[in-house]
Amino acid sequence: MDALVQLSEVTKRYDDGKSPAVAHVTMQVGHGEAVAVMGPSGSGKSTLLNLIAGLDRPSGGTVRVGDQEISKLSETGAARFRRRQVGIIFQFFNLLDDMTVADNVLLPAQLSGVSAAKARARLDELLAVLRIAEHRNAYPARLSGGERQRVAIARALVNRPPLLLADEPTGALDTATGEEIGELLLDLNAAGQTLILVTHDPALAARYAKRVIRIVDGQIAAVVTPV
Amino acid sequence: MRAIRTALRGGLAGRRVQALAIGLVLLASAAASTLAAGLLAASNAPFDRAFAAQHGADAALTVNAAKASAGELAATARLFGVTAAAGPFAEATVTASAAVPDTPGVVFQAFTLAGRSSPGGPVDDIMLTAGHWPTGTGQVVVSRELADTGSGASMSPGTVITLTAVPGSPKLTVVGVGVSVTNTADGWVLPAEMTALGSPLAGQMLYRFASAGSGAAVNAGVAAVRRALPAGTVLGAESWLAVKAQENESILPWVPFLVTFGVIGLVMSVLIEVNVVSGAVTAGTRRIGVLKSVGFTPAQVVSVYVLQVAVPGVIGVAGGAVIANLLAAPVLGPASQVFGVAPQSIPLWVDLAVPLAMLALAGIAALVPASRAGRLSATAAIATGRAPRPSRGYAAHRLLGRARLLPRPVTLGLAGPFARPGRTLVTLAAILFGAVAVTFGTGLGTSLNRVGADLALAGTEHVQIGLAGQSGQQPAPGQPSPAVQQADMAAVIRAQPGTRHYVTESDDRFGVTGMAGTAAVTAFGGDASWIGYALVSGHWYGVAGAVVNTSFLRATGKRIGGTFTLTDDGRAVTLKIAGEVFLPGNDPQVLTNLSSVVALDPSGTSPQMFYVSLRPGVNAQSYQNAVFAKLGPGDYHQLSSGSGVLLQIISGLVLILTLLLVVVAALGVLNTVVLMTRERVHDLGVFKAVGMTPRQTITMVVTTVAATGLIAGLMAVPAGIVLHHAILPIMGNGAQTGFPPGIYNVYNPAELMLLALTGLVIAVVSALAPATWAARARTATALRTE
Repeated sequence: MDALVQLSEVTKRYDDGKSPAVAHVTMQVGHGEAVAVMGPSGSGKSTLLNLIAGLDRPSGGTVRVGDQEISKLSETGAARFRRRQVGIIFQFFNLLDDMTVADNVLLPAQLSGVSAAKARARLDELLAVLRIAEHRNAYPARLSGGERQRVAIARALVNRPPLLLADEPTGALDTATGEEIGELLLDLNAAGQTLILVTHDPALAARYAKRVIRIVDGQIAAVVTPV
Repeated sequence: MRAIRTALRGGLAGRRVQALAIGLVLLASAAASTLAAGLLAASNAPFDRAFAAQHGADAALTVNAAKASAGELAATARLFGVTAAAGPFAEATVTASAAVPDTPGVVFQAFTLAGRSSPGGPVDDIMLTAGHWPTGTGQVVVSRELADTGSGASMSPGTVITLTAVPGSPKLTVVGVGVSVTNTADGWVLPAEMTALGSPLAGQMLYRFASAGSGAAVNAGVAAVRRALPAGTVLGAESWLAVKAQENESILPWVPFLVTFGVIGLVMSVLIEVNVVSGAVTAGTRRIGVLKSVGFTPAQVVSVYVLQVAVPGVIGVAGGAVIANLLAAPVLGPASQVFGVAPQSIPLWVDLAVPLAMLALAGIAALVPASRAGRLSATAAIATGRAPRPSRGYAAHRLLGRARLLPRPVTLGLAGPFARPGRTLVTLAAILFGAVAVTFGTGLGTSLNRVGADLALAGTEHVQIGLAGQSGQQPAPGQPSPAVQQADMAAVIRAQPGTRHYVTESDDRFGVTGMAGTAAVTAFGGDASWIGYALVSGHWYGVAGAVVNTSFLRATGKRIGGTFTLTDDGRAVTLKIAGEVFLPGNDPQVLTNLSSVVALDPSGTSPQMFYVSLRPGVNAQSYQNAVFAKLGPGDYHQLSSGSGVLLQIISGLVLILTLLLVVVAALGVLNTVVLMTRERVHDLGVFKAVGMTPRQTITMVVTTVAATGLIAGLMAVPAGIVLHHAILPIMGNGAQTGFPPGIYNVYNPAELMLLALTGLVIAVVSALAPATWAARARTATALRTE
């Protein structure tokens, strides 16, 4: 398999924790794959996602995305990596309330120094694809949960990252809206977007991922390929 | 109660940075305001307070010890109306020279020595500011006035003074410096020393009277003493009111700027404290909602938050009071020196009242937002939460988001202040006050330097060489006559290669028609325009003309262009006022040509000194040594002014106070930015999650206050100049003088541009530490923060 993400013996131990949040995890995710990381609350799945995203540093082991070893990057290097290599979708959207939909989506492109014209073109494209073009000048507080998550997805994709990370993307949404967002992620993956999805919902994992990695107490308990 | 305690403990433990910020800001505010209030207290009637503290003498009498016995003099202490008396202390006024390093040949024409066994006593405590009281003969404590400014060079313990006019020229080593609030002597020795000096007949009796509030009351007290002693015993008396008038003349010019710094310090402290404390409580609105949701009443919520401020606040104000007292020495010490009183400390009531007031203010600053949040419903409080009120700053974000020329972190930072306009305005005010202090302090420092240069006639490198027998005294036996001295000296000065210009100077006092008292008249024996006396207005005098000081114009009611008449023993000379010369003080002074006034006193207007300007590059001391060597032995001596030392002290004080205010402003900004970054830590996490680098994070956080600082700095320049131009005339009024235009016009364009950046520098430097913290914060941790 042509691996985009490679984790080797990754351990994460917090200062106050007696046992590691993630222990000796080794896994790979290939280009264009959709993988679900599943487990109960507190199992370490979000920590694993943070390590892949470069939001946190492992206590041991190595994390590679593409040709970069994330665990060795400086803070600046990690920030640059996040801009270009990953897009992150959070359970509670993490949109900036005082910025419009357009400004929220444009932010990663602006931080990367992408030209204004190119960024605007990408914005228009994403808002159209995600069906939120009419909200481009609205503030997040005025949007529904589903619309906010679409904005978050647009922001995650604005720099065309090879890897999309989604941490409980439907956790704060009602069932119907959750379905919509799930379908959207499925479409993105179908279009070639590599996706790692963290969820505690087995049905969601089974439906939207081609491979499910089950984590228990910070360790990989099983790797399942849904039928 | 237990619930409040639990919530309080949780609030303090969970918000350690916030508690630290509150503690720090109260520490800085309490220190600054205590020091500022101490400065204001020190500037309030310093002479009166020093007089009370040191049991100043209402009257200092010089008595003829040969006319009354010690018992008779001691008995005057029990006279009706006399509440305390000290003496008799043997007194002698002698000529002395001091061996001050780098300033040889310093002569004191009238050095008043008093014999006292100790510095204390019922009247006129001598406060020692350096060294110790004489423990044996050959030792002297000199007055601080003499030590600091009397010789133009500082005298300190170890300096040797030679009593040149006393047979055998005995030497006294300075062992201490002391302050007598009523200036009863220039130096103090042990009584045995006075005996060794030749048993002077004069003695000093010091009295405090039950009533001494007016000249008449003091005179009545003196008269009662005079009556009780044999006729002719009392040779002279000096009232404390005369000393007070003289001291106030030197105090009044400096009070306005000290009060200005004190007020700025107080206002700034209050602003910063209210800003940080109310901001900290507002940031806890979400937690207030949570507390209410579990059953806390509004009163309990308010109690928790007021206590949450009070705990670090008490520690902060206590530390602030300690720091203020530690800083009191370098700040109040020079202030006391300027006022000519003994070293002052922060009054106890200031030490207690000001920190408590700052604590109370913090309580109120916490009470208001806590009450407001406490009145919200639990859900509303939770919803309001950490975020600023919806819609605030949105437009700014939107507009700045379109500014393509600026990097995105900069535009994000620039939009930040609009989210909390109230806090931004108070931060702006705090920086503004700090920057105003810098503009004002810089201008004042330059003005004082120019005052010093003008008074020292520093435009030319010069020396003044006095002739023996000046001030009407006859030359001592063996000394050449004034005419011979003048001719000899003129010949030597003319022949000296370093001489550029020279002119003789005669000083005398003459009556002025229409003015009470006399005016000091300085008459130059030739062109003296090159000396460089600064003119407030008008021009240098010509034939039959004169320049006069502000005090003269006020005393006579004359104006430039008008005429006045000098009188002496029935002779009169009328002169035209060509200009107003910068010579502070309430003594009317006239500068003119010797030929214009010679008719007033044909026999008594012989020159008393030569004023010599030197060629560029000529060393004054070498020149003087060469002249003295050629003149040979005699009583020629160097004359110099001591005003430079006082101005140096004041300039140093201005610098210290300016720096203190800048530090307080910077601490205020730092704490504000700390709270701001703590409030927005989740947003910071989001920024970083989408790719904001540490450098971009620092840029964004610093820019959040940079624009505020820049605006404050731009506003501070005109405000500081206005303050400078408003305070200087008040100071000049206290010194009985107008100022030359050059004293006001002290700001040059390049300096103004730098001063305009002061606010920006304060803001950026203060924000760097919290910005760096924000850049280093772990993204995952920041995202988890509520």
